[in-house]
Amino acid sequence: MNHSLFTDLKLKLGFTSIALIVLAVSCIPKFDAPESAGGNIDASRYVAVGSSMTAGFADGALYQEGQKNSFAAIIGEQLKAIGGGEFTAPYLPGSSAGIGIIPGNTVQVFAKFHLTYKTDCKNVSSLSPVRLAPTDNYAVFAANVSGTGPFRNMGVPDAKSFHIACAGYGDPANVVSSYYNPFFQRMASSAGASVLSDALAQNPTFFTLSLGISDVLTYALNGGEYDSITNEARFDAAINQVVNQLCANGAKGLIVNIPDITQFPYFTTIPFNGLTLDQSQAASLNSIYNPIGFDTVFAQGNNAFMIRDAASPIGIRQIKEGERILLSTPLDSVKCYSMGSLLPISQRYILSLDEIAAIRNAINAYNSRLLAIAQRKGLAYADAYNFFNRLNAGVIYNGVSVNAQFVKGGAFSLDGLNLNPIGQALLANECIKAINSTYSSTIAEVEASSYRGTVFP
Amino acid sequence: MSIKTFQWLCLCAFPFLANAQGYQVNLQGQKQQGMGGAGTACIQDAAALFFNPGGAAFVAGSAVNVGVTPTIAKAAFLDERTYLTYETKSPVSTPFAAYGLFALKDSNNLKAGLAVYTPFGSTVQWEDNWAGRFALTRLQLQAIFFQPTISYQVNSKWGIGAGFVYSYGKVNLQKDIPLMDANGQYGHAGLSGKANGFGFNVGIYYKPVEKLSIGLTYRSKVNMEVKNGQASFVVPAAVKDNFPDGKFKASLPLPDIGTLGFGYKPNDRLDLALEINYAGWKAYDTLAFDYEVNTSSLLDTKSARNYKNTFAFRGGAQYKITPKFAARLGLAYGLTPVQNGYVTPETPDANRINYTAGLGYAFGKHFRADASFLFTHLERKDTNLETNLSGTFKTNACAPGLSLSYQF
Repeated sequence: MNHSLFTDLKLKLGFTSIALIVLAVSCIPKFDAPESAGGNIDASRYVAVGSSMTAGFADGALYQEGQKNSFAAIIGEQLKAIGGGEFTAPYLPGSSAGIGIIPGNTVQVFAKFHLTYKTDCKNVSSLSPVRLAPTDNYAVFAANVSGTGPFRNMGVPDAKSFHIACAGYGDPANVVSSYYNPFFQRMASSAGASVLSDALAQNPTFFTLSLGISDVLTYALNGGEYDSITNEARFDAAINQVVNQLCANGAKGLIVNIPDITQFPYFTTIPFNGLTLDQSQAASLNSIYNPIGFDTVFAQGNNAFMIRDAASPIGIRQIKEGERILLSTPLDSVKCYSMGSLLPISQRYILSLDEIAAIRNAINAYNSRLLAIAQRKGLAYADAYNFFNRLNAGVIYNGVSVNAQFVKGGAFSLDGLNLNPIGQALLANECIKAINSTYSSTIAEVEASSYRGTVFP
Repeated sequence: MSIKTFQWLCLCAFPFLANAQGYQVNLQGQKQQGMGGAGTACIQDAAALFFNPGGAAFVAGSAVNVGVTPTIAKAAFLDERTYLTYETKSPVSTPFAAYGLFALKDSNNLKAGLAVYTPFGSTVQWEDNWAGRFALTRLQLQAIFFQPTISYQVNSKWGIGAGFVYSYGKVNLQKDIPLMDANGQYGHAGLSGKANGFGFNVGIYYKPVEKLSIGLTYRSKVNMEVKNGQASFVVPAAVKDNFPDGKFKASLPLPDIGTLGFGYKPNDRLDLALEINYAGWKAYDTLAFDYEVNTSSLLDTKSARNYKNTFAFRGGAQYKITPKFAARLGLAYGLTPVQNGYVTPETPDANRINYTAGLGYAFGKHFRADASFLFTHLERKDTNLETNLSGTFKTNACAPGLSLSYQF
């Protein structure tokens, strides 16, 4: 009796352990996960036409990580599941600290920004974007890499709408006419090539087109004092030309519209009333400005900065709420050398209400043209204008909160103008949604929270 | 015997039996588990201390009952936007219950008992780098309840009982913080603490005729309070000042539960049990963390949970194949307290059907063993309003249990 009881128990224990193993395996719930399908899209040759955002320019420079995380590269990666090939791009070496050029400056190469501690004129150390030491010089632009092409990513930083079809856009001989772009020089198949001709040579079956930001941005970055906004008709003609040729062989595509660039952190980080004064500072400013007919009274606390304005009666005025002070403003001069108080800030660091209106009017006009073209050609249309507005308000994706605030917000890179990988990934998802709804495809979006935001030391 | 056991194993592969709602794990006595978790009116053994203190006095003599129910719960998540799936790699949890019920020498009608059980507690561990990593990577809840109880048989028809509940537990919550350092490492938050709470468990048992029994019980809410939790944060050095390690307070309510049950015994071999159960989950309105030191980045958080009160229905049958050998089957249907928009990876809860079965064998006059098995499957598609985590959670839970009892 005792013996059989014991055997029974042993049997029971034996079966229990087998049971546990069987259960552990059979208990895992399974999904019939959906799969990407192409719908009406032939993804075999996807070519991206665009400017900085398409190229993956970020942190004030073109560098490999940014290139690999552009929305175009992310879309290219997702298209692989529906027959897209390798999404080639004119990658910089991973070891490069990036190549950036300040608009108008074609001599010096600037490496990317990183976040580190910087000591200001008041000897206060704080976390700031600082450019790394360059690892490349200007020769990097002349070192043509078209041998590793053709490039599916035809994004060229700073390219405007009407640059795309310019023959010789990569030829330094055209520097005088300013129809020359050193970023295209690197990748052009020949000195006489245009971005469009190199794109068309690949006989694309699918394309994305994201143009127009540079058509207003160069003007904005110069405080409206240099360069001009591309007029609407010229923009329309340029886009029509590009789209007509891309579509000539029946290619499908996506047009990305243009965000309100005046909401980018480059233009919103420095507050209009950032002039903080104590009682005696305010009194001394009043004693200087009031006698010369300037009746604004400075007071203790936050004050609007003084700026130059040729249109105002005495050539200077206080900045108005809604006007922008650019991130290029020399902050040490503001903090220690009376810029913005005794010395009004130069107009090239300011976007006035009129200039902002001109920029916004142009963007609205471009966007209605882009929408009309997309509708006429039956192309997908991604509303980046709306997407960036939502970013401004703040977006929460899988528990990650991102917004357009400089550095802290995470969506924008350290140049305040271009997106971080997570911003690019969220934009890529908007594009994929637009593509899917237009072409009955089911291309998978990307897990945007696995793309980085701001990197902190 | 061995052939029968093997048949039970085969059944395990099909949707079968479990018993939980929210983060509550109702794995108690094996006999009751085999019958869908219904034990309020069908008094069988010392587990009545938990199921109905009013009925405990009706258990013959004294009894000790110890059981464990290893629970294998596997969850998976499908993000419908990316088509990516993620799985949990949670360890097997081992809820246990021990009951000791003793007839007091001076009285035939009065019994005293102690129940020690783990009414909630589990570990949810999601795979590395999963889509919800910034909402949760791991949650460990452990609680043990001690319930000293008195049960009094008023007469042959009526019994009443009451128990005092002291609970002690631990909580450990881990998640990633979306702040990356220069090495590409994300930050991480760990919140851990000890919690305790008090409550009571009362019940009435009524047996109007030989074949019918009725039970009514109420278990009070138990608020598990973490008074001295420790929060620690691993973040890039430049932002460490914004995330100071320090103390926090939080609380997690266990809802009050009212149950009305019926037992019916058409003949000597068959027992039928049916009950309806009401849980006051509305108590779990908010999950709040109150940090001792706040910064602009580390504010006290109040996450809406908005649970609602729910019902569960349980039924089961026991059939004595021989006087020594009993087989049990049961079914329970539980409505989820979690409303749309509030499904989280901590408790990806849904309405559920629990399938249960059990076997019992008496080895002699005093000693018996009971085995139970429970399977449940949960599926819920939702977009969380706080994190925007959007997709479908599926959970399978299998809980085989074994208990040994000694009656004297």
